[in-house]
Amino acid sequence: MYEFTPMGWVKHVVFHPVEGFEDLRWKKQGSMKIALVIVFLLFVVMVADRQLTGFQFNTAYVKVFNVIPLLVQSVVYFFTWVIGNWALCTLFDGEGTLKKICIYSAYALVPYIFCSALSIFISNFIVQEERIWMTAIYYLGLIWSVVLMIQAMKAVHQYSFPKTIVSMIFTLVAMLLILFLAILLLSLFQQLYVFGYSIYTEISYRIRG
Amino acid sequence: MKHPLRKVLSLTLAAVTAVSMSVTAFADEPYDSYNYDNWQDAVPSQSAYMVEKTVTGKEMKLDRLSTPGDELYISENASASLSDSKDMCVDKKRKELWIADTGNNRILRLNAETFEVTGCYYSVANSSADNFNVPLGIYVSDSEELGQQVVYIADSENFRVVKAIVKDAKTLECVIEYTHPQDPLYTANTFIPKKVLADRAENVYAIVNSVNSGSCIFSREGKFKGFYGANRVAVTAAVIAQRIWRAIASEAQLEGMTRNVPIEYTNFDIDEDGFIYTVSEIANETRTDSVKKLNPAGYNIWNNAKGNEYIFGDMQGQQWDPVARKNHQSVLTDVDIGDGGLINVLDFETGRVFQYDKECNLICIFGTKNSTADQRGAMANPFAVESFGSRVFVLDAAKSKCDITVFEVTQFGRYLHDAFSLYDDGRYVEAKAAWDQVIKRDGGYTLAYVGLGKAALNSEEYSKALKYFKTAYDQDDYDKAFKYAREAFLRDHFVAIIVIIGLLIALLIVKNILKKKGIKLIKPKTKLATSGAARARARKAVKDEED
Repeated sequence: MYEFTPMGWVKHVVFHPVEGFEDLRWKKQGSMKIALVIVFLLFVVMVADRQLTGFQFNTAYVKVFNVIPLLVQSVVYFFTWVIGNWALCTLFDGEGTLKKICIYSAYALVPYIFCSALSIFISNFIVQEERIWMTAIYYLGLIWSVVLMIQAMKAVHQYSFPKTIVSMIFTLVAMLLILFLAILLLSLFQQLYVFGYSIYTEISYRIRG
Repeated sequence: MKHPLRKVLSLTLAAVTAVSMSVTAFADEPYDSYNYDNWQDAVPSQSAYMVEKTVTGKEMKLDRLSTPGDELYISENASASLSDSKDMCVDKKRKELWIADTGNNRILRLNAETFEVTGCYYSVANSSADNFNVPLGIYVSDSEELGQQVVYIADSENFRVVKAIVKDAKTLECVIEYTHPQDPLYTANTFIPKKVLADRAENVYAIVNSVNSGSCIFSREGKFKGFYGANRVAVTAAVIAQRIWRAIASEAQLEGMTRNVPIEYTNFDIDEDGFIYTVSEIANETRTDSVKKLNPAGYNIWNNAKGNEYIFGDMQGQQWDPVARKNHQSVLTDVDIGDGGLINVLDFETGRVFQYDKECNLICIFGTKNSTADQRGAMANPFAVESFGSRVFVLDAAKSKCDITVFEVTQFGRYLHDAFSLYDDGRYVEAKAAWDQVIKRDGGYTLAYVGLGKAALNSEEYSKALKYFKTAYDQDDYDKAFKYAREAFLRDHFVAIIVIIGLLIALLIVKNILKKKGIKLIKPKTKLATSGAARARARKAVKDEED
């Protein structure tokens, strides 16, 4: 029935929030490459939001620019979402594979990225009184993406609507858990490193002395 | 070293080195000047004021008071130094500086230019008390009714405010005394006045110890008229919690509860237009009320609720001082309105004077504190600030070393004052020259860029204005300039924009027509060809190839 190029599929799911993802699943389509590019664009749009928003709207502290928090807020959050969702839904009869969850979630982000970029673009041409346009476009993208994300999760796991919502909420909890453990692990390894390094210095002093 | 010339040469060299070294070591304050940028970050700045001198009892020639035969001779044991002085007041017309020398229970009159003593008063003639007893506040003005200079003294331990006229260098004569008001409104048991002020109608305002409903007003005739300009209760979590508890508590419980009362303001001053400025010691809890400009009804003109943000003292609240090893919390203790509406606010905690223009823009910060006050420009217990002409006086009431530090404006400060006075009048273009001079001396002075930006905006140089506002990080003014710049751009390029839009529409129409008629300008690939004509052509092409 549907014959699209890989990019055509992205367009199809974005503009058909009700059935797009079901079609995608039925036709066994979706490209991992495109998904990764979308996640990268999410990161780019976050950097652009900080750096390219019109001066009169930009609330960022311009004296320091650190890309790491932005990277965490886009790429790391996305993959935590994917892993968290996969870990959770495999236990609860979800049919989605890790790859599929990744692809479908990424496709759902397209409106958000596009509208953010658009609102950043127009912020360079409007004054504060006309801020409503910027906000409207941004929230349009956000809400659209949320709707698509629900549909994507519903399609990929073949859940009912309430189950999808519950699974998504628990995915957020799982994300928190993962991030908490990651931070814990990080600090642990740091201490381990410090411990190892102090032993090394101790030994090196003894050998020299 | 046999050669005499060599000897002379080396000597001169040594002398030159010594002199130049002493010069470099000399010209500096015991602190680094700073200012705040639009991020409310402290940034280094130039000194707008420098310490000119420190005036002690010796410079005031207070030993004349105990020199027999001198016209100012009081007694053998009259103290030749200030002690624990708490307040000063400048009579600008007569060029006099009056000091409430609290520890010595006397009032001093000095020449405001030479700081030499011209009068000394231990008592007021024809009044209820023999001598002053801990006079904490003083105010000097001209009485229109009496047609001469009058002095108001908050004589705290005699529980009175006394209004007196100056007879000569040693005698004050009482006009009227304001004492404990016998009025149901006045509920405090005591009347211990700390500071005093009088407006042009000679109503007397007194800040009274442990009265937090504002300052007491007395009419000229001595009648208690009520309270003026109370602070508000700062809304903190504790206050909200108590509000809720009070709603459900019983009568007996209510009696046991402490009441939420506002912080009383510690000091005030009056400007030429008759507005009273108050200052309260806890600045961070009630940011709005730390310094207030009160209208005649007692309401604050500088109200943060009305959209502007007025911050006084150090901007970042508590600040860690690595030298003193403690957190600073601004304790604003005195306010002074100088010439041209300049507002000097003294912070007791850090010994800094914050100078604002009449629109509350921070102009400069100067002065510092150390415990011993043994450096010029450093205070131990700064209690009062006054200004006279280009000078600012800070009264340091250390027990042993009570003195007045005199700050003199620098060239940089003078340019600042010029620029701000024009800027506040809205004469942005005229202020431009002064701002340029400011920037030459301090390239990081944020408000200079705002001023230059507004000047550029007024002379319709939009791109320049945008650049300046961006430098100052002033988003609101940038927005305004951007609006004008955009309008100007649209106006200038109106024809071009219309032509481009027209062309785009035409292109779209042509494209639609071509599509309808099935004409393709670009030859499509065979595979994706859909329209009938193209398919036919493709078939033909395939056939040709086969042939």
